[in-house]
Amino acid sequence: MNWLRELGRRIWMLARRRQFDADLEEEMRLHLETRQQEHLQWGMQEDDARAAARRRFGSVTALREMSHMAWGWEWFEHFAQDIHYSLRMLRKSPGFAAVAGLTLALGIGANTAIFSVIDSVLLSPLPYPDPQQLVAMKQNDSLQNVIDIQRQTRTLSQGGGVNIESMDYTGGTQPIQILAAYVDAGLLETFRVPPMLGRIISPDEDVKGGPRNIVASYHFWQDFLNSDPHALGKTIPLSGSDYTVIGVMPAGFALPREHADVFVSLWVAYPEAAPYRGVHFMRTYWRLKPGVTLSQAQADLSTIDRRLAEEYPDNERDRETLVVPLQQWLTGDVRPALLVLFGAVGLVLLIACANFAGLLMARAIARQQEFVIRASLGAGRSRLIRQALTESGFLAIIGGAAGLLLAKWGTGFLVSLKPAELERFTGIHMDAHVFLFVFGISLLTGAVFGLIPAWSAARADVAESLKEGARGSTASPFSQVLRQLLVTAEFALALILLVGAGLLMKGFSRLRSVNPGFNQTNVTTMHLQLPATRYAEIPPQTGFRRQVLARLNSLPGVDAAMVTDIPLGGNYLSHSFVIDGRPPVPVGAEPETQTLSVMGDYFRVMQIPIRAGRSFTSMDHEGQPLVAVVNEEMVRKFFQHENPLGARIDWSRRAGPHQWMTIIGVAQDVKHSGLNQPVDPAVYAPFPQSDEAWRRWMTLAIRTPGASAKFIEEVKKQVWSVDSQIPVSEVHTMEDLMGVSLAQQRFNMLLLGLFAALALILAAVGIYGMMAYRVGQRMHEIGIHIALGAQRRDVLRLVLGDGAKLAFFGIAIGIAGAIVLSRVMKSLLFEVKPTDPVTFSLVTILLAIVALAACYIPARRAMRLDPMVALRYE
Amino acid sequence: MQRDEIPPGTLYLLILKTLARSGEMHGYEIANSIQRTSDDVLQVEEGSLYPALQRMLIKGWVTAKWGTTAGNRRARYYQLTPAGRKQLTLAMTQFERVIGAITRVIAAV
Repeated sequence: MNWLRELGRRIWMLARRRQFDADLEEEMRLHLETRQQEHLQWGMQEDDARAAARRRFGSVTALREMSHMAWGWEWFEHFAQDIHYSLRMLRKSPGFAAVAGLTLALGIGANTAIFSVIDSVLLSPLPYPDPQQLVAMKQNDSLQNVIDIQRQTRTLSQGGGVNIESMDYTGGTQPIQILAAYVDAGLLETFRVPPMLGRIISPDEDVKGGPRNIVASYHFWQDFLNSDPHALGKTIPLSGSDYTVIGVMPAGFALPREHADVFVSLWVAYPEAAPYRGVHFMRTYWRLKPGVTLSQAQADLSTIDRRLAEEYPDNERDRETLVVPLQQWLTGDVRPALLVLFGAVGLVLLIACANFAGLLMARAIARQQEFVIRASLGAGRSRLIRQALTESGFLAIIGGAAGLLLAKWGTGFLVSLKPAELERFTGIHMDAHVFLFVFGISLLTGAVFGLIPAWSAARADVAESLKEGARGSTASPFSQVLRQLLVTAEFALALILLVGAGLLMKGFSRLRSVNPGFNQTNVTTMHLQLPATRYAEIPPQTGFRRQVLARLNSLPGVDAAMVTDIPLGGNYLSHSFVIDGRPPVPVGAEPETQTLSVMGDYFRVMQIPIRAGRSFTSMDHEGQPLVAVVNEEMVRKFFQHENPLGARIDWSRRAGPHQWMTIIGVAQDVKHSGLNQPVDPAVYAPFPQSDEAWRRWMTLAIRTPGASAKFIEEVKKQVWSVDSQIPVSEVHTMEDLMGVSLAQQRFNMLLLGLFAALALILAAVGIYGMMAYRVGQRMHEIGIHIALGAQRRDVLRLVLGDGAKLAFFGIAIGIAGAIVLSRVMKSLLFEVKPTDPVTFSLVTILLAIVALAACYIPARRAMRLDPMVALRYE
Repeated sequence: MQRDEIPPGTLYLLILKTLARSGEMHGYEIANSIQRTSDDVLQVEEGSLYPALQRMLIKGWVTAKWGTTAGNRRARYYQLTPAGRKQLTLAMTQFERVIGAITRVIAAV
């Protein structure tokens, strides 16, 4: 503890150093005077006495210094002086301080914000124990296959499947649709998250006719079970049956991608689907055995695939199971976008550092004389270097502090406009490590380029420099070249960023102008799901649908229809089919088409044009000849040389004889899965003519001007007047759905656009600073030019040519770089080639204009130069 | 008269010993005392007392307080602390060991 007490005394001394200085001074004076007195008494002359006393005492100044050193604070005192001096110098040139600080703040802030998002999304671990063992299969599978894989695998320790279905919770005042995870017993085990209360579903319950048990999610327990600690054993009504709560999962638990309110056994809740091998509707998650590599697991699964294909050729012939690490699988969609943004972040950081460096160097050259004078007055090299470092470090700290604020704000901003894909990542926050990293880089830049003046001053021949300094040009050729390189690099980097942003913008505008195939204005959509208990057969379903549509269409100004899955709604159902009269296709190789059931005049409500034939009428109902409308893609793919109207199609693999649907019309293509997605062949058929009773869901499409909250309540009331137990969910406008479909692209474009703008500004500042400085340096020369009769035009050409050369090189290098780098953006671009010549030319022109404008300001100053003043200027 | 510089590093020891012998002293008195007791052989560059005293203050070996001299002037009086006393014993032992060793080397003809 001795050193601690000693430190305490040191700090005490530092705090009261004025007092201690005065004490020391007085003490020494007393000593000297007493000694002098003594000498006088011995009979010396006064002057001699003083001199003798001083001789015996030693140098007071040196001793004072030594005493200070004894305190161990001299570094601090120098530091305080340096800071004080830096502040004064920065106050004298506020423009420089502001530009340098702002450059750093933008660089640090933007980089930290973006990197924080990337860090949370791409790099943060999954919230499950031993997450590196978790894998997902790229393809969905059926329960029967899952069971076989569980039995046969030698590389996977656990695994299971899940399918999210909606269920109706009727225990509250209004029927509510909740999401149920239909799982097998292996699934929850795989994640190794123990339940908060009770237990999870055990293998012996996960059988046909097993007990109706559910495991509740934390949210469900909170919202519907009132956070009751004794909820275990309670029964709740779900879709017409009573289920017993056997467990509650903890708050932090969620499936990797699926949202689920409750977990139930697939065998218990949906026994119809469980035995079918060919229905691949379960997402499966697995855990690797310890020590097993991904490629071993992949080989294992491929073996199992082959075995299943041999055993069940009808359904499993084309199995190609792909094992993907869970983390990678989850971030797959946003990964390319985030990586491009990450690259952009790096480029902007480079530009910001180059700018900071350029600014420091310009300043260094301007202040070289000052440093040389200080060196000649006896300032030590280390003292000069420390001074320079303090100044650039001080700037870096100010910039860093502003950057911290910007980073905090920026992260919040990014989270506020994050696309749906980032929705899952709730914990995105500004990352302190990232901030320190970026800050460290800018400090380092400051240190390296801040050193240059001190370094060259220490090297310089004092006499020579002072002589030269009188003529006002002391820039060494080395630092000139370095600065030119920096500006050139800035332009190259800015061009790359601008090209990236330009390509995204073009892609986005292409995407926005994509015809979705319908008219999204004034259409509201809602999802309805009929419970299996009371609507097991088609006739009651048709009855319900007819009544709902009749009631809605009787409302004034309302045009309503329904379809199974609304475009851009995220749901998709496809069937394999056969065409009457065509040569038979082997089982398992039939063509696929999207299938949609409709009721009411769906095409009129959505304003999907009919290209040929006719739309459905109210006459196309049960008992009438089966009819279908197909889309244009279907015609392109399967009826290229044949009139589709009158042709007959049916779903393949019917147990009984074919029930041919006659094609009566061709509808325009609709972008069902997203504006940037290709259109699949599609078949529309009337709901009442369907023989698939499991299509118990429907989406209302209601065209009405101005759908207010009140209107939506009215629609719900109408639905409940037909059946009060039917939940109404997913209320959207078609315009919202379009917006969601555009959100990711908009996010990418906005961010890269911001970066490009930032890069442009920084590059402009960079070249402006450079040219302004050069003009200042060449005042004398320009003055002589003018005095010798040069026109303003010539001066302008002289200065602009100087800057244009740098910009030209930068742009040329940038174009080469952009051609190489823009390829990585390919997956983010919609119908735009990464080397789009229009974008490249526009960006080049923009950058050239900015460069010329930045050079024009100093050029004008040179033009207006009065030669007399300029020549006297030295 | 021949005057010798004090061996390096022994200044602390001298100050500690001086203070131990006489209790409170100010800088001038310490310098005089060292000279007198060494029969004017040891010549301290008087000023160097002060950085040494500052260091000893920080180490906690001495404390200082202001008082008045016989000539009615303000002076800073230094006094040994218990830690200073301990340091003196330590330095003495070390010094004696070194001197003993040197003497033995010189005496061994």
